[in-house]
Amino acid sequence: MSFKEHDKKTFIIDTARDFAARRISKRDFLRKTGMAGIGFSAFASGLLGSTRPFRGNLGGNAAYAQTPEEMTKWLKDVGGQFKGSKVRYTSEATPPTVVLNQIKGEFTEATGIEVEIEIVPLEQVLAKATQDVQGQLGTYDVYYLDQSWVATFSQDTVDPVQYTKDKPDLAMPGFDFDDFSKPLVEGLALYDGKWVGIPFDIPIFITMYRKDILEKHGIKPPTNFDEFTAGVKAITEAEKANGIFGTGLQAKSGHYSLECDWTAAVWGHGGSIFGKDKKFAGNDEQAIKGLQWYQEMLKNAPPQSTASTWDGQFQMMHAGQVALVNSWDEFFPGLDADDSKVKGLWEPLRPISSMTGVRAVADAGFGEIPNVGHQGGSILGLSKYSKNVDAAWIFMQWACSKEIMTRCTLLGGFAPMRLSSFEDPRVKAKAVVGPGTTRHLETVKWTIDNVMASEPDMPLWAGFSNNEIPVELGKLLTNQDYGGDAKKCMDNVASLINKAVEDAGLL
Amino acid sequence: MSEAVLERPSAGFLPKWRWLSSEHPLPWLLPASALMIVFGIYPLLYALWLSLHKRNPVTRLNVFDPDYNWMKAFGDQRVWDAIATTFLYTGIALVIQLVLGLLIALLLDSDRKGYGVLRALMTLPLVVPPAVTGMMFLLMLDGSFGVLSRSLYAIGLLSPQYPILANSSTALAGVLLADIWQWTPFMVLIMLAGLRSLPKEPFEAAAIDGASSIQAFFKLTLPMMSKVIGIAVLIRGIDLFRVFDYVKVMTDSGPGTATETLTSYSGRIYFNGDFPYASTLSLITLILVIVASTLFMKIFRVKL
Repeated sequence: MSFKEHDKKTFIIDTARDFAARRISKRDFLRKTGMAGIGFSAFASGLLGSTRPFRGNLGGNAAYAQTPEEMTKWLKDVGGQFKGSKVRYTSEATPPTVVLNQIKGEFTEATGIEVEIEIVPLEQVLAKATQDVQGQLGTYDVYYLDQSWVATFSQDTVDPVQYTKDKPDLAMPGFDFDDFSKPLVEGLALYDGKWVGIPFDIPIFITMYRKDILEKHGIKPPTNFDEFTAGVKAITEAEKANGIFGTGLQAKSGHYSLECDWTAAVWGHGGSIFGKDKKFAGNDEQAIKGLQWYQEMLKNAPPQSTASTWDGQFQMMHAGQVALVNSWDEFFPGLDADDSKVKGLWEPLRPISSMTGVRAVADAGFGEIPNVGHQGGSILGLSKYSKNVDAAWIFMQWACSKEIMTRCTLLGGFAPMRLSSFEDPRVKAKAVVGPGTTRHLETVKWTIDNVMASEPDMPLWAGFSNNEIPVELGKLLTNQDYGGDAKKCMDNVASLINKAVEDAGLL
Repeated sequence: MSEAVLERPSAGFLPKWRWLSSEHPLPWLLPASALMIVFGIYPLLYALWLSLHKRNPVTRLNVFDPDYNWMKAFGDQRVWDAIATTFLYTGIALVIQLVLGLLIALLLDSDRKGYGVLRALMTLPLVVPPAVTGMMFLLMLDGSFGVLSRSLYAIGLLSPQYPILANSSTALAGVLLADIWQWTPFMVLIMLAGLRSLPKEPFEAAAIDGASSIQAFFKLTLPMMSKVIGIAVLIRGIDLFRVFDYVKVMTDSGPGTATETLTSYSGRIYFNGDFPYASTLSLITLILVIVASTLFMKIFRVKL
């Protein structure tokens, strides 16, 4: 098995575990870790939690690599006009980016347009994009924009719908903007009525449970927060001695993953991040209940939760350390992978519902959509400062086309953006236990359509969600400060955020 | 002894290459000066210029407001905490690396067979990139499967309930482990070079007078090594003060801000796009390094 084929992010960890359990010799351990050294940089970014929790086993299935004739013709005829140009795109290692990076040669072969995909940790993507737009440099032609940055970059991208109208000769036949899931367009791509980009990936919170453990203890799959909490506590009590905890968290302080967990807890308890007066509401009664619930969950999670991002949380699930998790759907294909110890044992569930009901959108601020299905999606944005804007537009249409997006799902098992991909017979055929499974996608589609939540759309949000909120939460959860007092912590966050919002003239 | 006379090689040069035989310092200083201006002075001045601007996160315009970032930094509790953590980190690492470095150097200061190989082996940690060292220790200190964590659990120094890097009271120690492992050999090599350059006569005289090896160490070795130690402390101290890699890789300044140093804080601000404030924090780091180094050199009379 080549290192490239194996999931790089788990390779060393699995090897270390095998060695610790004396399943492999020291010689094999050294050989394997030496081999891993070749892919160290990719591994590093995964372990640091800077990548999305992508666990799908990519494979070059030739059956999927059939580009429709019509698309090939369009690529040659229209894309061929820009032969020799180069499109640069920077992104974190999201599942579709990883797939695109593997199949970009097909695009180059047909069009003669070179594509350079720079895969870096999430915070570096933000810094690079910020520098690029600040100086209007046009270094990158296509931006990967996390949902929390969409408002920040809304003025720096070309509206793809408008561009299709403006340049019909460049439009891909049958591209069909209406095929994108409407909640995704509204929650991800639109800002002030403008399409900032095209929806590109959609990790979203669902509930997942270990059916064998729940059955063993006679616990029904939870449908709401109370049932989830009771189940988590019961499992911890019964199984902690065996090294199994009720739940696992992505509570690394200072990391965006902790902010995501916190937001989900707040929304699930009827709170919101901002109130309708645009002031921080994370310190109101409902939000504090949500945070206190999260503190309770932490007591029922493996101790390394406070040092874990989404990648660490996946490791806990993959290693059979936890039984009930409310987190990213993108974990699922990896849980069914061949190297998984828990293959076929995890089941997807609709996100647990709130006991109090969620806060109305009208009562939240800055376009926030409180609900139980926290989405962490992203869009592809066409840079307004690009020097190859037309070539980049051709690439973007190809990358977001029905065929390519469906292939990304087939290769990785993660949720598609397009309604047609959900209905594709090839996608449905993979809804069985196995690597790159799509058996969770029905739950994902329901979540997107019915209970999808979105973080606020405001220019300062990228900073708040990566700095003030997760750093102060980290201090609280690791007892560095606040003495375990959730209210005290969030009052401090409120003062920091309200001051910054006021300073920016947004109040 | 006859004096060697260097002839000016001008005769063989074409007129446009005549400057190669010039005795004027300018052509010889120009390349180094140009590099210094491009990679040292310009970035410094640009950082200074940035620090005098306030960034509007909505319009993304930098507006001239000379005291905004500096006042913000002085009023920012995280800056003070980061300064305290930076000094703590630097102090602990420096003391441990110095003491260990000196002890190991004393052990390796021998011409017996095999010691040369041992001395050469000391250089190995130094060639590992710090980020990779951070990754190694991140794995070894992992709460579930880390070999170091498990060893510490086994001897009762740590509980699985409190993984070293996930606990605000122990995380800094975890990061320090990586730094000490990597940089103690640097101290060893400098100390070894110093020990090997010491004259033998005073030690022979001390031995004849009946001085014990401990007396010889404190009365002779240490005083004679003081300059070497001073320079080693200065170089390592400056390097430690701007620690970034280990913190970024192993804890990302957490838990909370337990391992947040000035450089890691400015890095976080930079990644969030507030370049003027990040520049201000970098300049504060520079100022502190200059002040601390100057004070150290004055107090301990270190001359470079």
